[in-house]
Amino acid sequence: MSDTNTVSTDVLIVGAGPSGLATAIHLADLLKKHDLKRRILLVEKGTAVGSHILSGAVIRVEILKELLPEVDFSEFPLNAKVTKDSILLLGESGSIKSPVHPPYMGNKGNYTASLGQLCRFLAAKAEEKGVEIYPGFAVSEVLYDDKGKIRGAKTIDTGVDHHGKPLENFQPGTEIEARITVFAEGTRGSLVKTVIDRFDLQKGRNPQVYSLGCKEIWSVPEGNIAPGEVYHTMGYPLNLHEFGGGFIYGLNDNRAAVGLVVGLDTADPTFDFHAAFQVWKTHPVAAKILKGGKLLEYGAKTLPEGGYYSMPKPYVDHALIVGDSGGFLIMPALKGVHLAIRSGMLTAETALSAFVKNDFSENTLKEYGTKIDDSNIYKEMYPVRNFRQAFAKGMIPGAFMFGTQLITGGAGLAGKVGVHTDVDATRKLKDFSGKPFKKRFAGKLEFDKILTFDKVTDIFYSGAHHDEEQAVHLHVNNPSTYHLNIEQYDAPCRYFCPAEVYEIHTGRNGHKELRIHAENCAHCKTCDIKEPGSGITWTAPNGGNGPEYQNM
Amino acid sequence: MTIITLIKQVPLPNEMRMGDDGLMDRTRAKSIINIDCQFGLEAGLQLKKHYPDARMIVCSMGPGSFEAALKTAVSMGYDEAYLLSDRKLGGSDTYATGLAISTMLKHLGFTKDSKEPFVIFAGRQTSDGDTAHVPSQVAENLGIPQATFCESAKPDGKGNIIAKRIIEGGYQMMQLPVPCLVSLTPTGIPPRKPSLVGAIKARNMAVKVFGVEDIHLGTEKIGLSGSPTIVAAVANIESERPPVVLSEGTTESALVDNLIANMKKCGNVLQHKEVKEKTEKERPDFPVIDTRGDNKHILTWAEIANGQIARPSLELFTPARHLVEQLDNDTKIKTVLIGKNVAPLARTLFEHGADEVILVEDDRLEEYLVLPFADIIAQIIKEQKPEIALFAATTSGRELAPRIAVKTGSGVTADCTGLEIGEYINRKDKKIICPILHSHRPTYGESKLATILGFVYPQISTARAGTFEVPQRVEGRTGAVSKFKPEFVEEDFRAQILETVRGGGGLQNLFEAEIIVSGGRGATSDGLKLVKELAEALKDKGLKAEWAVSRAVVDEGHAEYARQIGQTGKTVRPKVYVAIGISGAIQHLAGMKESGGVVAIDRNPKAAIFRNADFGIVGEYEDLIPELIERVKRGFTFGIEIKNNS
Repeated sequence: MSDTNTVSTDVLIVGAGPSGLATAIHLADLLKKHDLKRRILLVEKGTAVGSHILSGAVIRVEILKELLPEVDFSEFPLNAKVTKDSILLLGESGSIKSPVHPPYMGNKGNYTASLGQLCRFLAAKAEEKGVEIYPGFAVSEVLYDDKGKIRGAKTIDTGVDHHGKPLENFQPGTEIEARITVFAEGTRGSLVKTVIDRFDLQKGRNPQVYSLGCKEIWSVPEGNIAPGEVYHTMGYPLNLHEFGGGFIYGLNDNRAAVGLVVGLDTADPTFDFHAAFQVWKTHPVAAKILKGGKLLEYGAKTLPEGGYYSMPKPYVDHALIVGDSGGFLIMPALKGVHLAIRSGMLTAETALSAFVKNDFSENTLKEYGTKIDDSNIYKEMYPVRNFRQAFAKGMIPGAFMFGTQLITGGAGLAGKVGVHTDVDATRKLKDFSGKPFKKRFAGKLEFDKILTFDKVTDIFYSGAHHDEEQAVHLHVNNPSTYHLNIEQYDAPCRYFCPAEVYEIHTGRNGHKELRIHAENCAHCKTCDIKEPGSGITWTAPNGGNGPEYQNM
Repeated sequence: MTIITLIKQVPLPNEMRMGDDGLMDRTRAKSIINIDCQFGLEAGLQLKKHYPDARMIVCSMGPGSFEAALKTAVSMGYDEAYLLSDRKLGGSDTYATGLAISTMLKHLGFTKDSKEPFVIFAGRQTSDGDTAHVPSQVAENLGIPQATFCESAKPDGKGNIIAKRIIEGGYQMMQLPVPCLVSLTPTGIPPRKPSLVGAIKARNMAVKVFGVEDIHLGTEKIGLSGSPTIVAAVANIESERPPVVLSEGTTESALVDNLIANMKKCGNVLQHKEVKEKTEKERPDFPVIDTRGDNKHILTWAEIANGQIARPSLELFTPARHLVEQLDNDTKIKTVLIGKNVAPLARTLFEHGADEVILVEDDRLEEYLVLPFADIIAQIIKEQKPEIALFAATTSGRELAPRIAVKTGSGVTADCTGLEIGEYINRKDKKIICPILHSHRPTYGESKLATILGFVYPQISTARAGTFEVPQRVEGRTGAVSKFKPEFVEEDFRAQILETVRGGGGLQNLFEAEIIVSGGRGATSDGLKLVKELAEALKDKGLKAEWAVSRAVVDEGHAEYARQIGQTGKTVRPKVYVAIGISGAIQHLAGMKESGGVVAIDRNPKAAIFRNADFGIVGEYEDLIPELIERVKRGFTFGIEIKNNS
């Protein structure tokens, strides 16, 4: 079977987000320029390109011109040029406009956009250049040769029961052999995670830390917000220990994108990110804009925001890591798209070198590291390298530390600032001294299904769906000790999951057990990051499963 | 061996995406391979396991955009793809479609006499047409045997195919010689996912596209003008069932409380509302023409199940009598009765409304087989020249009628819910054809009601089972019995029935129950104990209650066939239908969607049953049903009044 079920390619790209597509496009262009013919194969787990793409998004567009110089700028499916850019500090009911616009947050010249739409556009361009894109296929395994080097990846076996046992309609996964594998899986990639572990790529670096963003797109009455109007909020409903803020972007066709991004280093084990987002929407600043409107889409995504010091080493023999998988994101600006594209372009240049030299070992691929440090990525990421770590101590000390970092060019007063993993921040119920989430927002957690929605309703608007017959894609790492998470933490996953995947069911005899509704999963990976104890592992379900984002 | 699968591309049913206006956004509706056809594709791939070197062919007819569906089939494991695509085919009805597809197959070298053995797979029916005609009509045009409504098809090692055919209340194992055609219900082995190697193959292959001239198909019998039937009108059927009201609450007790409150608050029940967008045009002063010639009388076929006339065949007398009243006074209902020693059953037919019984008796006709029965009825039609022929839309009627129609050149209207005599104003030729049969049938997932007219006699329709009442029996009513001696065609007995399994008819009380508690696959972890207990508790309160199951439960051996609700089981319409752990497969919905009120309990909020229910609770049935039983014991009756005398 293996000989008929294997494909060989020169480059395998896992994931059709901005970084994977940029790798494909730029490499195709470079190969053509050098008169080289190489096969570039890209697989994407969403039903279509864009199905699993979610971003704010306000995008720095210069990079697009660089990636596709032959394309007339007006052809890019961007939304509106940013016309108004405010930062609002929210109190419980009022707001003040921030007198100073923090640096690195300026959005002049940027555009609001649907990143999903942009990716569909990029995919079409890549196809024109000869890249083969196969959406609807999930890769479940990294393949290694007998020397332990990466030789490609394998798509998931389908037609199996809940335990992975083949059924009558079993279709074995396809082995994709590649000289270079590019991991562009997005945030907390399920394959790249195993690669980072295996090759110890996080060695000597800070662990990666994340935020979780919940986002909705609304149709709003004419006049509520103009295309290109951009607001970022700080403060309510978050307290000074919680890192994050909200955003409201005016899109065309009387639509608005709203969202709340919160650091996953929350201490309260019962913190509910989706509920916090709903509470945020009730603040007059957001409520006014959404009034009379209608929910169109919902989604959730984690952001790697550790910055420069949290980036894994992005290359090993035969493989490169790009985009969110590699932590290319600058938190102060809430921006990763242009860096993702840049990382893809640098990867393409590195791959070209490898083809020219016919050497795919780290020896050649390390050029990628040099290129990153010589690029804008370094220029943008290095000065804010300690930004997120500073805020790990809370918003006020954070602002102070970040302030000193600005003066000292990013070093602050301590050089490299360390950081704990998000899950380490979670306190046990008995150790958490603050007001538990439900008490803190008592009276605000009844959702009216007009402005605010429960998770089940919201997740319906993500279009999430999963095949019934397949191995469960979410694994409690140690089921025998999970009762400790219930007793000590009240099972945080039931709170932090923004898609109502986890439920604690109390039987008539009072016995509590965890139930997993994997079919709701929005592929945000929060559970993989934030569940304490032995944790939860997120693996890819069947290709074509997951959310069905249209314009996120 | 060559394995050929026929597929159609259709808009995704139940596309659960809301547009800006809150309505279903049809423009975004994606196209998919018709679900039944996907099962056909899988059946072909399953057969390939026994013939590893089989040539795998997939065919379709439709616009160029259907290439996407054909390529998906290739990515699942097929090798060659052919598409018949021609503007001249636009507006073809099922008769014309069957003709065109079989002509393409003949052009590809597949005929009754081909040296190369082949098996054709097809889906039972399509979601946008729902007729189930095309497979039968392709088989008839090719002159090969068929088995429709099948779940599986395996070789017997002696060159035959053994197909499991689903029939009302049971199944049949059929032995078919090769070549043959098998149509698949969406209940067999689910379609596999494409493989990446397959997708790469599909990307690099070309679909062979034929026009009608390429396959030497004359245009006189295809397209809008060549088809024997036309769609005369389409009306919208609006909001049959308002959206489900889901219970809210965090504990079982609260969820059940909320259900009871919801049921009290809103009498959410089935409402049929047909929105007629009639822009009454003035009736023109054209000459009225009666085109019937010497075609007269209404022919029906009496199907036999378990030694009795099947209920749907008795139901036929209701629309038949209605049509007689609208036609000339001397129009008769003539019923064909075929079988072995079945003469005594004629009495039942007369007592329910037959004026004349045409009796065909032979030892070889003991069991229904589509080939000889189609031949015999076609012979009777040629002799009797009826103006209308009616069949119950059972698994037999729905394959028999289209196969007969190919022999008589008639059109067929499938699965009708209304039959009326009317007229047809032909504005082009300036004439009015009257009388003519107006066959009304729901289509497009029951969202439209189409009116179909046929211009070739007899006008053939199948009537949906469970839609018409069985007429009141008139004791002692009688009529003339005439015997018909058919000419047997030896070839017709090539396909054989190896075994018929039917749950003993029984459980007629399911038809009379006020409330049915029905359990699905998701309610079997306790062997249906809770389902039975709830039904028992309701009975104890004096309600006419009964328990039933979905097909999967019967398959798993938890209950007998007689309790199965659905397309291949019973069609029921109690005042309240309580669906527990039932996902809501189309075939199940067909059996219960006419219920007054539907209460659904299932753990999966996205289960289709919730889109076809009035009230629902999302949760585990093991936790919820005990709570519900307690409430029933305390007097909750799902809003049904308890009659003291019962």
